[in-house]
Amino acid sequence: LPYVPQVPPMALLGRVTATTFALERPRGVFDGHADASDSVWLAVAFANGERSLFLWQGTWGPSPQPLTHHLCRAASAAFRNPQCRAEVPLYQQLLAACSYMTLETAAAEYSCSAPSPAVLRVGGDTACGDQDRQDPCNGPLPSPGPYRVKFLLMGCRGPKAETRWSEPILLRTALSPSTIEPAPARPGSALVVIASILASLGAALAAAVLGALGAKAWGSLCHRGLGTGAFIRRSYRSHHIPPALPQPPPPGCGCSPPGLCPSA
Amino acid sequence: MAKSDDCVHILQGLLVFGNVVIGMCGIALTAECIYVVSNPHGAYPLLKATENSDIHAAAWIGIFVGLALFALSILGIIGVIKASRTLLLVYIILMLITFAFEMASCITAATHQDSLTPNVFLKQMLERYQKSEPNNNSDNEVTKTWNELMLQNHCCGVNGPSDWQEYTSAFRLTHSDADYPWPRACCVLDAKGLPVNLDGCKLGVSGYYNSNGCYDAISGPVNAHAWGVAWFGFAILCWTFCVLLGTMFYWSGIEY
Repeated sequence: LPYVPQVPPMALLGRVTATTFALERPRGVFDGHADASDSVWLAVAFANGERSLFLWQGTWGPSPQPLTHHLCRAASAAFRNPQCRAEVPLYQQLLAACSYMTLETAAAEYSCSAPSPAVLRVGGDTACGDQDRQDPCNGPLPSPGPYRVKFLLMGCRGPKAETRWSEPILLRTALSPSTIEPAPARPGSALVVIASILASLGAALAAAVLGALGAKAWGSLCHRGLGTGAFIRRSYRSHHIPPALPQPPPPGCGCSPPGLCPSA
Repeated sequence: MAKSDDCVHILQGLLVFGNVVIGMCGIALTAECIYVVSNPHGAYPLLKATENSDIHAAAWIGIFVGLALFALSILGIIGVIKASRTLLLVYIILMLITFAFEMASCITAATHQDSLTPNVFLKQMLERYQKSEPNNNSDNEVTKTWNELMLQNHCCGVNGPSDWQEYTSAFRLTHSDADYPWPRACCVLDAKGLPVNLDGCKLGVSGYYNSNGCYDAISGPVNAHAWGVAWFGFAILCWTFCVLLGTMFYWSGIEY
């Protein structure tokens, strides 16, 4: 079938996360090829060139701890369609076989008229790897990939049709929060303005006070010498020369207003 | 002579007016700093957890500086009216000390506001939110504060829900990525507190999750407090500088 599975083009924040990804639902792709009893599987395989498989140990330290080191080269090219339902590689075999099949759904759900959400989520079943289940399930993907997927239409007697392989889908790899730099690179402009203006004001005030006190001290040191300016006022004030007292009246003149003495 | 008398009277009047303004501003500064100290905003536990509570030190200094400014302004008014050299000298020296303290408070508040970048909160959130073995009470406080923030402001993370995807976190240790690409508090919740559409929230379908970050909700009140203390103090200091210069000029012209 000429259909190519793809990640939904609309802007969904969760369409690719660290362990899951979403796919566009293939509407009407299998019409005309599928009977009522057929089921459509999704085959997931590591993309060509995937070198090794790291398993996260659950710590969020600076580097992942590799539990198993496994080469998964050309998994999608080497994928063989299973001939019957019993041969379907399961989620639990992903690490060993480098591929698995999941999302078994009836073909009728992919017809044009079926009402269903527009997006399929691969990896959404967290109860998958818990027990030793031998049923096909949709567990979270253990490594960032990249993966290739294709849809496979399986009938009672074997595979009937398949779509093309998708482009490689790379999952997210999260960074450690210790890489975050909390300090700002440079101080903000407002801080620089406040600090510089306040510093200059403070310096101006200190200089003015020192200048005024110094001038006063200098003036008091020169107080005994030939001081000039305002300090003359001080020396004048200290050695205040009272204005001349009126001359005492000549003896014998008993008149109070001067000049009105009787001539005698 | 009358002209220089007029000049002296004008200078005295200006200095009294300047001191009255300083006194009123001192009271206002005290009131504002008491408000900042006693009225912590919702994100205060986050600030405490960053061990960066400079704004509180600045506000405490501001309270005492405001009271000192009020008292010194009264002293200044008396000294100017009486033209007493000793009173004015005491006034100038004490004002200089108060000026220095207020300068420290201003610069501290401005530095504090400058240092609260989104990355500070991002790192704290990733390392402490929903930490499974909380070291001390502050980790529980951080978790509780973030939950309240995200629920009340309908926001998620610091820059957005992508924070939880871009970085590993303490939350990621206990909650798998497939089930919880971001915390449940980031989903749009109904009246009972359950997500309206859990699958839509996990996929990131708009309408079922909160796509904006909480940094604006945090930095708004924090900035308001810091700017209030810093810029008001700066304005008071500029005015005080002018009044002090006038007082020094007046002091140097007083005769014994």
